[in-house]
Amino acid sequence: MALYDKILAVRPTLTQDDFLPDTGTIVLQNDSDGKGDYIKEWNHPTETQPTSEELA
Amino acid sequence: MSTVKSKKLQVGTDATSSNNFTIYQPSTPDGTLRIGVGNADSPTEVGRFTSAGYKPATAPAFEAKSNSNTSVPHATWTKVEYNNELRDTTGDYSSSRFTPTVAGYYIITATACIGALSDQTFLLSLYKNSSYTHSYVAGGFKSGVLDPATSMSLVVYMNGTTDYYEAYVYQTSGVTKTTINYGITFSGSLIQQA
Repeated sequence: MALYDKILAVRPTLTQDDFLPDTGTIVLQNDSDGKGDYIKEWNHPTETQPTSEELA
Repeated sequence: MSTVKSKKLQVGTDATSSNNFTIYQPSTPDGTLRIGVGNADSPTEVGRFTSAGYKPATAPAFEAKSNSNTSVPHATWTKVEYNNELRDTTGDYSSSRFTPTVAGYYIITATACIGALSDQTFLLSLYKNSSYTHSYVAGGFKSGVLDPATSMSLVVYMNGTTDYYEAYVYQTSGVTKTTINYGITFSGSLIQQA
C-alpha cells in the first residue's frame, strides 16, 4: 500500500486536496533512491502527523 | 612604430599575486591566447581565446536522458531518473542531480512524460536541494490525453558548492503511474559566472 493510502487510512478526514501543491498542507516525496515514499512536510492545522508505528 | 613581442604580459604588480592577471601564450603554442589569475611566473588559467572566441576554463554543462521508467505514486512528488549522460563537461552531474562547482547563474531545463493519464493532474517541478521550490508546470488536464508530456526551464543561481537541482513529477490518478522515457531530457548550463 502506498504511503498516501496508509495516511488516509489512519487519518480518514484528510482528502486529496490536503496533498495538492501550494494549496495543500502535506507534501509526500520519493527521491528515487530506494528508500520509498516519505512525509516531506506536514503542516495540517488540525490533524497530527501519523507516527511510523501507525503507518507500519 | 614599434612592435613588442612577448609570450607573457602581467597586468598588475600587487604584492598579492591573486590581484594580478597574466595574458600569455602556452609554452607549446596551440593557437590560443590565455588569461590567468596570478603573476606571470605561475598564472592559473581562467579562460582562453581561440579563433572561435572566448572559452572559460570551467563552464559546467550537462545533458542527460532517461533510459528507464520511474514509478510515480499518487499525490507524491517523485524524482525522475535521467540516468543516461550525454555530456557532462565538468563531472558535476551524478545520480540525476546537477551540483555545479562554479557559482553563478544557470539555465536548467527538464522534460517529462507520464503514461496512461487522462483528465488528471500531471506536474513537473525543478527541485532545489531536494525541496519543492513552489514553481511547476502542468500537463495532462485535457480530456483524451493519454501520455501527457511537459517541460520546464528556469534561470537559477547556484552557489558552486552545495546547491543542486533535480526534476520531480506529481500526478493524481489515484494509483501509481510510470514515466515514459521516450526522449525526455534533463539539461543545464552556466550562463553567467557569479
